[in-house]
Amino acid sequence: MFDEELAATTTADGLKALRTRWIGRKASWVSAFMDLVAAAPPDRKRTLGREANELKKAVEAALAEREAAVAAQRRPAGAVDLTLPGRRPTLGSRHPLSLVREQVAETFSRLGYQVLEGPEIEDDYHNFEALNMPPEHPARDMQDTLYLTSPIAPPPAADGGPARAPQPLTLLRTHTSAMQIRHMERHAPPVRLVAMGPVYRRDDLDLTHTPMFHQCEGLVVGRGITLADLKGTLLSMAVALFGPGQDVRFRPSFFPYTEPSAEVDIRCIRCQGAGCAICKRTGWLEILGSGMVHPAVFEYVGYDPDEVTGFAFGLGLERVAMLKWNIDDIRLFYENDLRFLEQFGL
Amino acid sequence: MKVLLSWIREFVDVPGTAAQIGARLSERGLALESLEALDGGDAVLDFEVTANRPDNLSIAGIAREMATAYGLPLAMPGPAAPGRLRTPALPAVTSAGPVTGEGLAVRIDAPDLCGRYVGAVAEVAIGPSPDWLARRLAACGVRPISNIVDVTNYVLLELGHPMHAFDHARLAGQAIVVRRAAPGETLTTLDGKARTLTPDMLVIADAERPSAVGGVMGGADSEVTASTTRIVLEAAWFKPQSIRATARQLGLRTEASYRFERGADLTAALRAMARAAALIEQIGAGRVTGAALDCYPAPQRPLTLPLAAARVNGLLGMDVPDDEVVRILTSLGFEVRAEADPPRRWAVTVPAWRVDVQRPVDLIEEVGRHHGFEHLPATFPAASEAPGPSDPRIARDTRVRRALLAMGFSEAITFAFVDAAAAAPFHGSDAPVTLANPLSEKFTTMRPSLLPGLIDAVGHNRRRGRRDVRLFEIGTTFSPRGETRAAGAVWTGLATPDHWSGGRREVDFFDLKGAVEQIGAVLGVEVGLATSDRPCLVPGRAAEIRAGERTVGLLGQLDPALADARGLPAADAVYVAEIDLGAMTAAAPVGVRFVQPLPRHPHVVRDISVLVDDSLSAATVRGTIQAAAPPTLVGVTEFDRYQGTGIPDGKVSLSLRLTFQAPDRTLTDDEVHSGMQAIIAALVERLGALQR
Repeated sequence: MFDEELAATTTADGLKALRTRWIGRKASWVSAFMDLVAAAPPDRKRTLGREANELKKAVEAALAEREAAVAAQRRPAGAVDLTLPGRRPTLGSRHPLSLVREQVAETFSRLGYQVLEGPEIEDDYHNFEALNMPPEHPARDMQDTLYLTSPIAPPPAADGGPARAPQPLTLLRTHTSAMQIRHMERHAPPVRLVAMGPVYRRDDLDLTHTPMFHQCEGLVVGRGITLADLKGTLLSMAVALFGPGQDVRFRPSFFPYTEPSAEVDIRCIRCQGAGCAICKRTGWLEILGSGMVHPAVFEYVGYDPDEVTGFAFGLGLERVAMLKWNIDDIRLFYENDLRFLEQFGL
Repeated sequence: MKVLLSWIREFVDVPGTAAQIGARLSERGLALESLEALDGGDAVLDFEVTANRPDNLSIAGIAREMATAYGLPLAMPGPAAPGRLRTPALPAVTSAGPVTGEGLAVRIDAPDLCGRYVGAVAEVAIGPSPDWLARRLAACGVRPISNIVDVTNYVLLELGHPMHAFDHARLAGQAIVVRRAAPGETLTTLDGKARTLTPDMLVIADAERPSAVGGVMGGADSEVTASTTRIVLEAAWFKPQSIRATARQLGLRTEASYRFERGADLTAALRAMARAAALIEQIGAGRVTGAALDCYPAPQRPLTLPLAAARVNGLLGMDVPDDEVVRILTSLGFEVRAEADPPRRWAVTVPAWRVDVQRPVDLIEEVGRHHGFEHLPATFPAASEAPGPSDPRIARDTRVRRALLAMGFSEAITFAFVDAAAAAPFHGSDAPVTLANPLSEKFTTMRPSLLPGLIDAVGHNRRRGRRDVRLFEIGTTFSPRGETRAAGAVWTGLATPDHWSGGRREVDFFDLKGAVEQIGAVLGVEVGLATSDRPCLVPGRAAEIRAGERTVGLLGQLDPALADARGLPAADAVYVAEIDLGAMTAAAPVGVRFVQPLPRHPHVVRDISVLVDDSLSAATVRGTIQAAAPPTLVGVTEFDRYQGTGIPDGKVSLSLRLTFQAPDRTLTDDEVHSGMQAIIAALVERLGALQR
């Protein structure tokens, strides 16, 4: 009887019904048989039980075989050519400067810094004067400035700032250090920030210069901040950016807004210190300027230099990207050639 | 500053090779820029001298740094100095007022701009310098001219103090008058150029007219020539700000102005004069007659600063032994006096050449750099509280960036300045923001939009054989009102790439519209489009992007004439879009967004096809449906739009998919049916639609 029913069933649904009717846990042929076994006298129980199980196994095996056959019939026939190209959705590629910016931001976020951005058009006060570069200061020569033809009216003074009238905006910021002043004017210490974005200088386009480039500024102010803290921070940043084992040098330099000042060099990536054209045969490549915040800067923003100390640093992102990926022409960053960008992927 | 090693070694007997010396000095703050080996074991070291250290623009200054770096004694020119350094004392008449001597009267009329003027008369025989002197000048990058001029340059290089020599015969009234230029006064400088002077410039004049621009350049008329027999030597001190302003106004930068504007040593003028006098005699070029006439209106008092070991070690974060503090400062020329009480404190007197040292922290730097930054431990700053919030724009821009990357746009970064012609179609009624001193014609105008830069980037790729280009940039745009953060996108070429299965399609308006809508979705803002007449876009394919009543961007096909002007083939359709991210943020809902509960009852889908006038906008049809529908209509999607065979002219067949759903019950067939009837009736009555 079961064999006839099985032969007449050709669909998955039919097989499912057949299974329920014959070997389902309730109200099936097999369950009825089991009930009989349970009610049988003890001397018959054993034989009947064995027979019931054998029946169940036989039905189960026949069902499974038929189910597999039906399932196989439902699969599509034929084979695709596995070697034909797939249909790739187009993915955009990241700009290397954007990748570096993100990596630096992540590194410092992990160290508990807030990440800020600031205005690109600045006034003379924030870009120079409050950074201890009054008018006619020779250090202004270090950064040839681009000026606007007509000044732009400043945004209204932010709450909590010092009672100093906003100045007209006259120039393109030459460094992200202007953000140091803007932040300290509005926030009491402690400070722990990085500020990132484009900066502008009147530099001719060549292999290593563009009139616009990108910087990351760092500023930490609090009680008892030391030059050794700066050194430790910058060395760990160099490891984060260039990997462990990177030889790093921390040496004295000069910036008007820091005292003492220091620059960080890394061992030339190209020649590993042997001396080559990239490092001008010195074996070292400068990647950033830094130092302890000059007391005059603290005075400009109303911090007490007897109470707090701090450090600041400014990192050139193009420089980092060039070293990291062995890019020998800075102009590549601004041509946006897809053959270049696509090497960086998503 | 190029220095000759053998010249340095007259001052300090520094051991080692030039490369070793350069490396040591680099670690002490005098970075070696380049190194040139000379025959005979000598070398020229070129050090990068930072703007705060004019004293290091000299052999003596760099020798002093070396003496400190190596812990060696330093010899300076003087009566008892050995060899060429021997410099007898020069008799001098010093006065706060005018000084007159044999053949010369010196007067300072502008003591605010000239702090000191030493003049001396010398009898000379002009000729070439001896070889050793000429070679030293040449090695340091100064061209030898004649013995007298060379001596002034030698002193400039050796001591860092600029000097000048006038032809005595050309000075009217045998006088030196240091004064401001009279309005309109002119002077032909040594470079042969006639200069018109202004009253904020300082001149060195004779009794009648200017002979030199003080501290910047001498005059051609009083130049020392082959026939000169008597000269006036000048060693003076000029106010740095004034020199810098004058040099910039005249477009003149000389070895003298470079040093004076950074700050010369006010006390060095007489030493420089004595050194020049000694050299003139040494090389047989003549001799100074009479005393040096020293006009010194306000002698400088040396600065004394307090220094405490606790501050030194507290700022540096390393312990520098007290005797090392004293050794470093003393070797650099500071006078260090230990205070008796409290201990580990000093009173430090600053030498006059250290114009950069004005605060105790400047002394700490000297101690730190000569003790060596390599001895600093690497520590981390202690944090006393959690950091403040990051700029919210960063997270927002990151989300927009991710969305655009996922939609196949690659990230571009273009210059924020563009040429005026590229900017013009984009700044609308605003005046362009321009630069007063642009680098070139290509960079005159601050971009009013990201699109000019992106269009040029498309052009760059197109010229390199790349036809399909999809780029975006997130950056700042500029208007007279200030800065705006924007996202711009350009798309040209294929929308879907070539594939063996087909599906190749060129980009069209709706590709970029879709991208814009997705950015809106990412920012939680529903955007719509309104017709635009922006001249940069093709009419009919030009839109303003709206968020509510607010315009937040533009979208459309770039005018082929503009594409052509930027070197793109006019036949290529280039679609562009730009969104003001600040305005989008302002339009976005604020506050916490809670998750909507998922619907618990099934939805019902009905399709409808109607024939309507093709002048009707999709929005009109959709609006008519929505107005007539019961509140259970939750979605309307246009899934087909057909014109052609079987459709009368001026008509279009629209197919729409309507989704009905109720939050509280399963909809019945009757309910949905009556809803559809109402919708069809409205389409027929209000729009004259024909159901198909």
